[in-house]
Amino acid sequence: MVFSYNWLQSFFTRKLPKPDKLAELLTLHSFEVSEIKKVKSDYVLDIDVLPNRAGDCFSHIGVAREIAAVADLIFRGQTSHKFARGLTSTDFVSVEVKNSAACPRYTARVITDVKVGPSPKWLEDRLEACGLNSINNIVDVANYVMLEIGQPLHAFDLEKLEGKKIIVRSAKEGEKITTLDNQVFNLNPKILVIADAAKPIAIAGIKGGKGPEIDEKTKTVVLEAANFNPAIIRKGSRELGLKTDASLRFEHGVDPNFTEFAINKAASLIQKVAQGNAAKDSVDFYTRKVYPQKIKLDLKYAESLLGVKIPEREIRSIFNRLGFKVIGARHPLTVQVPTFRLDVSIPEDLVEEIGRIYGYDKIPSVFPMASLVPPQKNDSVFWQNQIRDILKEAGFTEVYNYSFQKEENPVEVNNPTSQEFKYLRQNLITNLLKNIEKNKKNFSQISIFEIGKVFREKTEKIMVSGIAAGQDFYQLKGVADLLFEKLGIAGVWYDDFQATPEDSPRSSWKTKRSAEIKVSNIEVGFLGELKGEQKIVAFNLDFEKLKELAQEDQAYKPISKYPAAIRDLAVLVPTFTKVEEVLNVIETAGGVLAVDVDLFDIYEGEGAGDGKKNLAFHIVYQAQDRTLTSIEVYQIHQNIIKTLEENPTWQVRK
Amino acid sequence: MAKTRFSLKTLKNKAEKQLLQAKDLKDLDAIFKKYLGDESELAGVLRSLKNLSKAKKTKLGKEANELKNFLKIKFSEAASALKEKVQKELEAKEWIDITAPGKKTVLGHLHPLTIVSRKVEEILGGMGFSVIEGPEMETEWYNFDALNIPKDHPARDLWDTFYLKNGLLLRTHTSPVQIRYMEKNQPPFRIIAPGKVFRHEATDSSHEANFYQIEGLMIGKDVSVANFKAIIQEFFQKFFGKSAEIRLRPSYFPFVEPGFEVDMKRGDGWLEMAGAGMVHPNVLKNAGLIPSLKGGGWQGLAFGVGLDRLAMMKYKIDDIRLFYSGDLRFLNQF
Repeated sequence: MVFSYNWLQSFFTRKLPKPDKLAELLTLHSFEVSEIKKVKSDYVLDIDVLPNRAGDCFSHIGVAREIAAVADLIFRGQTSHKFARGLTSTDFVSVEVKNSAACPRYTARVITDVKVGPSPKWLEDRLEACGLNSINNIVDVANYVMLEIGQPLHAFDLEKLEGKKIIVRSAKEGEKITTLDNQVFNLNPKILVIADAAKPIAIAGIKGGKGPEIDEKTKTVVLEAANFNPAIIRKGSRELGLKTDASLRFEHGVDPNFTEFAINKAASLIQKVAQGNAAKDSVDFYTRKVYPQKIKLDLKYAESLLGVKIPEREIRSIFNRLGFKVIGARHPLTVQVPTFRLDVSIPEDLVEEIGRIYGYDKIPSVFPMASLVPPQKNDSVFWQNQIRDILKEAGFTEVYNYSFQKEENPVEVNNPTSQEFKYLRQNLITNLLKNIEKNKKNFSQISIFEIGKVFREKTEKIMVSGIAAGQDFYQLKGVADLLFEKLGIAGVWYDDFQATPEDSPRSSWKTKRSAEIKVSNIEVGFLGELKGEQKIVAFNLDFEKLKELAQEDQAYKPISKYPAAIRDLAVLVPTFTKVEEVLNVIETAGGVLAVDVDLFDIYEGEGAGDGKKNLAFHIVYQAQDRTLTSIEVYQIHQNIIKTLEENPTWQVRK
Repeated sequence: MAKTRFSLKTLKNKAEKQLLQAKDLKDLDAIFKKYLGDESELAGVLRSLKNLSKAKKTKLGKEANELKNFLKIKFSEAASALKEKVQKELEAKEWIDITAPGKKTVLGHLHPLTIVSRKVEEILGGMGFSVIEGPEMETEWYNFDALNIPKDHPARDLWDTFYLKNGLLLRTHTSPVQIRYMEKNQPPFRIIAPGKVFRHEATDSSHEANFYQIEGLMIGKDVSVANFKAIIQEFFQKFFGKSAEIRLRPSYFPFVEPGFEVDMKRGDGWLEMAGAGMVHPNVLKNAGLIPSLKGGGWQGLAFGVGLDRLAMMKYKIDDIRLFYSGDLRFLNQF
């Protein structure tokens, strides 16, 4: 919100600090000043008034009060106003408020014999500095007072008020209003309106309507200064899609005690700039008067919360400068808070006032006294990091994708910002595939992974997915094996792919080139080739399961002191025989002395024969306690061959 | 006799001459055989010694053996010279262009936000903060109400929110994690909650619909603003270096009182780096803790830092969207 430096100066006898110095003071103690601009002979300060201070600081007087506190200047109070005797507002207009919860206060003032016309230059300049256009001297005064005090005002032409009545009520179903800028709004009972005897004449707290507006023929003005329930104005403004200077203030809350103060100021100004005669009093509906609140403040608590002892004398001075009153000398302190400080209601609020005005820069940095408890290890974070490191070592690059996707999924966003953000992702692969597509033109080999949440109904879980272009099934299987090994997960096996993989787009796996990854009987994920023109392989692992299975403990296996003997073995088997089956036979027949069996070649084609493939293995024989004799090795090797050949379709090549 | 002596001298001259002409080890070998081999003249001379008289034998034998030793030394010298020459020729052939570029090692890369997150966790972990996680889909209670952000309050406008058809919302900060933790754990404690958060806003170079945050919470008996200053200063100095200068500026967040913003000096100006404050007593109450009004209860500090912002400053990245682009030209740089 923008503020005029000259206007702020008008509240002080002494000169204000220079604009940049003032901006710095406000930034450090009150609100950030984001910009200072020179406008004619004035400076305009763009101040980011904090939302909880809108009630008092969406106004020049409020910011001036802050300046008084932070620059330690004496704030000049308002002068009293003089009004003609004889005129009484109630003789001209009546006010009826149907719902005092929605409208706690309604103050109306009549000014007769006004001469509507252009505003004087000083008034135009101030409005202009604050970004408002001049309309006429009556409307300008209403706006001026709003900018000065923070109380929105509205002016009606009394002659045009049906029944000379003002009624604050809910709109009726089917009622319409045309606002001053010629927009038509359909109203409903949730929207509060100001009406005359016949129809709505303003949307309460938001915008005035056409009809009883001020024009050059207006002779008698009815000024409105009212207070509305913030929630009702906020809802109304949202429903109508209409935000105004007035609605902005009301939805943050305004001190009901402002109305009288503001209407007096406005009436007095209208007398000055439009030569009217203001009534000596107002029609004032105000059933539940708001009085200043008193809060007890324990200075020891303030000291404990701020971490610094500030002398009581200084604390009292801070409160006085802010317009608070410290009552009496007793402890704890009794602090009376002015009604316009809607943000202050508990002792901690008072501590904040002390802290910020005293200056956070003056509070020392002191490390806390705390028991020497080391941080707890977080297993989830630990294993996620392990997985990241392993996959990185395996040549995979980590990506972070959006949690959203455009493809339909169970969890739908109510208010997506775009089509791409319509659903929450149910797997990581969909977005990883898009990454491949995007990187294709720059890279021939792409290996990427992501660890992140996926969503389904009301639950979410962490998945680990990797995807690679330019690799084949076995390369990726090697990566998966490495991952399991490094995580200390034993007993991993690859089962035939069954349809309906829970966590992946079902249609995307090539079923004959994909596997379910299992640990004992627990399914932990999938690995395989994805459908599509380009050869892309992927794995999809359930992190929650990996986390449970992962083992940090690792025991060293002694290295045998005795030499190993290596024998090769080739078996001719039918094409669809699984290597796993052959391996199982070799391992079982080989027993403990066949310490390692390593498939080094698979050959299909000429020489192997139709429907056959040749599997070649290195078998390592070794004992922990002795050197194996060639006879021992021979016997075990022969036993393996014999066992393999028990299968009539398998043939060991000799 | 004279003939033999003459022939020994001639032999020596011839041998020396031929040695100089030897081009390679093969030549040398032939020369060796010719002058020192079993069939050589010298071998013949030595063999014939036994037929001579003792005096002659002694004299000629000495001369012949001297020549033999002399030639051996000469051969060995010639052999090493030739070997060296051959070695040099071989080495010359081994030449490679050491200025040609090395073959690229295919490496994986961690995402910059992972790197930054680890650094942050390491610094705060060093100060005793434990890492806690929580759900990304949240209820209104945990994301707003419990944090003292009532419904229909303009303060809710500070967090533009994605709402879901399942009745939940996407958390707008990781503060709900703190509430969930406070409900289940008895103070004193120090925790940090890193994670993905969501804001319903249009994306541009400095705004994203999802980004990462890390929030800290310390609850104890005497936790103060002064403590916060020390912790956050230490944090920024560990992260950006000793020269990092920070300041606190008043701000408003419904879940803290007092509340402030942490700015860090950048050139002539200040850059907003974190939101923070002393935990609002309503928040403590909502999480089932007794606030420290009259002593005996709990009080605490809370802060939140954007990881994206930290990473952008650390690596001089000017567009937040790069983090979520999946673009390997970007990711491979980390």
